[in-house]
Amino acid sequence: MEIQRTDERGDEESGDDERMTSTQSEQTGFETAADSTVLRATDIEHSYGQVEVLEGVSLELHEGAVTALIGPNGAGKTTFIRALAGLHTPTAGEISYSGPDRPRQIGYLPQRPAFRPGQTVEQALTFYASLVGLSSEQALSALDTVGLLDAKDRDVDALSGGMKRLVGIAQARIGNPPIVILDEPGSGLDPEMSLHVFQSLNDLAADGTAILLSSHDLALVEETADTVVMLDDGSLLYHGSPSEVIAEANATSLLDVFRESRRAEAGTVSVRGVTDND
Amino acid sequence: MTEQVDAGESGVMEQGEQTMNVDEATIKEPSTGSVFASFVRREINTAILTGSFVALALTVFTVIIGITLVGSGFSAGYVTTVIELLTPLQLLVPVVAFVLGFNAILSDRRSGELDVLQTYPVSAWQVVLGVYLGRALGMVIAIGGPLVLLFIPIATTDTPRLPMYASHTGADTPILYLRLIVLTLLFALVMLAVAVALSALVSSARTAVLGVGVGLILILFGLDLALSAGFSIGFISDSRLLSSLALSPVSAFRGLVLELALTVTEGTGPDTASPVASLIGLFVWGGGSLAVAAWALKQ
Repeated sequence: MEIQRTDERGDEESGDDERMTSTQSEQTGFETAADSTVLRATDIEHSYGQVEVLEGVSLELHEGAVTALIGPNGAGKTTFIRALAGLHTPTAGEISYSGPDRPRQIGYLPQRPAFRPGQTVEQALTFYASLVGLSSEQALSALDTVGLLDAKDRDVDALSGGMKRLVGIAQARIGNPPIVILDEPGSGLDPEMSLHVFQSLNDLAADGTAILLSSHDLALVEETADTVVMLDDGSLLYHGSPSEVIAEANATSLLDVFRESRRAEAGTVSVRGVTDND
Repeated sequence: MTEQVDAGESGVMEQGEQTMNVDEATIKEPSTGSVFASFVRREINTAILTGSFVALALTVFTVIIGITLVGSGFSAGYVTTVIELLTPLQLLVPVVAFVLGFNAILSDRRSGELDVLQTYPVSAWQVVLGVYLGRALGMVIAIGGPLVLLFIPIATTDTPRLPMYASHTGADTPILYLRLIVLTLLFALVMLAVAVALSALVSSARTAVLGVGVGLILILFGLDLALSAGFSIGFISDSRLLSSLALSPVSAFRGLVLELALTVTEGTGPDTASPVASLIGLFVWGGGSLAVAAWALKQ
């Protein structure tokens, strides 16, 4: 999908409740005025045939902020992420990019990162780096940021699932894109490595990059994200800083928020178009 | 865990012992040639420098040398070898092209790398042409290698050359054999383009297998049968028969070899194909297939 470029740099001040808050500004140390907006998604809808997966979801990504997308399986997180990354065109709605002009505007980590077998980690990352005019050394420095430099000579198909994910995160950072979108970056990683990944993403955000990630690790999200967006049945349920979302749901943690929202369907996976969600 | 150090204006972010250069001044859109070179290197690493490719190339080598040995042998000369290899190559080349090309785009689609590539400043055309050029190198090695190697024993076997083949007089020169090599490579590259297009159109291993089967049957037999049927029912007139053969890539290849590597040896007799139409037909098949592949990637 072609992401629309705007020159506005987000000059519209929004009164919508679904906006970053002062709390978030304090957390990130960044101004979160409208001019820090790098991606704006408005009223995104998406259907697979008759099955409506997203219903009027709006979101803004801001420079230097980590936004976490949470929600149960089948809530539409991956569909939303793929739309924001420009990988498919939503059925309705508008996505506009207003970040700086870079060869690569969005870095992307798929849910199950994979690389062509038959090449080393260094070769795989060098290939991607070459597509934005970077050298092998610069590809390796991206690998270094995820702590996997020692594995540069390993075959990519000989890596564990977790290590592949780390290489995928390194790949997502190549070219210094203003936005990095990661679909479950902590999945398959041990707790320490998962923490490392989230903290490195926070570091990346501190450098000015807008981060959007989806995750089921709600404790880590609560600890590291500036903004939490909770999707349920394709709709936006909560949006705000972790503390705001917890307060709004009258809960004690994001896990509680999640449990409360799923109380009626505990033990089941909502299947869009099949499960009665009324 | 490491501590964040201010990146500063240079854009160098330090995290304890870790450093990532993010100097924006060094990030430039690479040239088109550089992008192609990157894809070609990737294809060489992942599709050519592999045990599977070596096995494929050895199989093709064995088949081509075997056909020659089972036939008249190296001493029969260039023209006889061309005649003996023509029909097997019509079958062998499409099969090798499909084996080498059916997974070219599909593997990236299935692994999710196509999605990742969409976030880089590369166009669908660059992806398709880059992948194609890389695999084309493999095709040239697999098909051209044995044919070139076969040239050596034919050229060095010290036997009298046939001045005649059947009732046609002609010279048994290496030029005719070299023409076979060039035309076979052209045919191979066109078939590879068809295979890459198929690879871009399918989305699963199951549909790929089905596509390869149907594609090979159509190319090897279906189109020729359709031309025969068209001629027999009068849809294709006598005057248009030779140019109509160019509609089938196999017929176009066969016609080019007959016209440029065999018929020329005697200089008389009926025309077997229209070389110009056959060349145009092959280029349309090749270019059209790559266009279809690029279109499929954009969907």
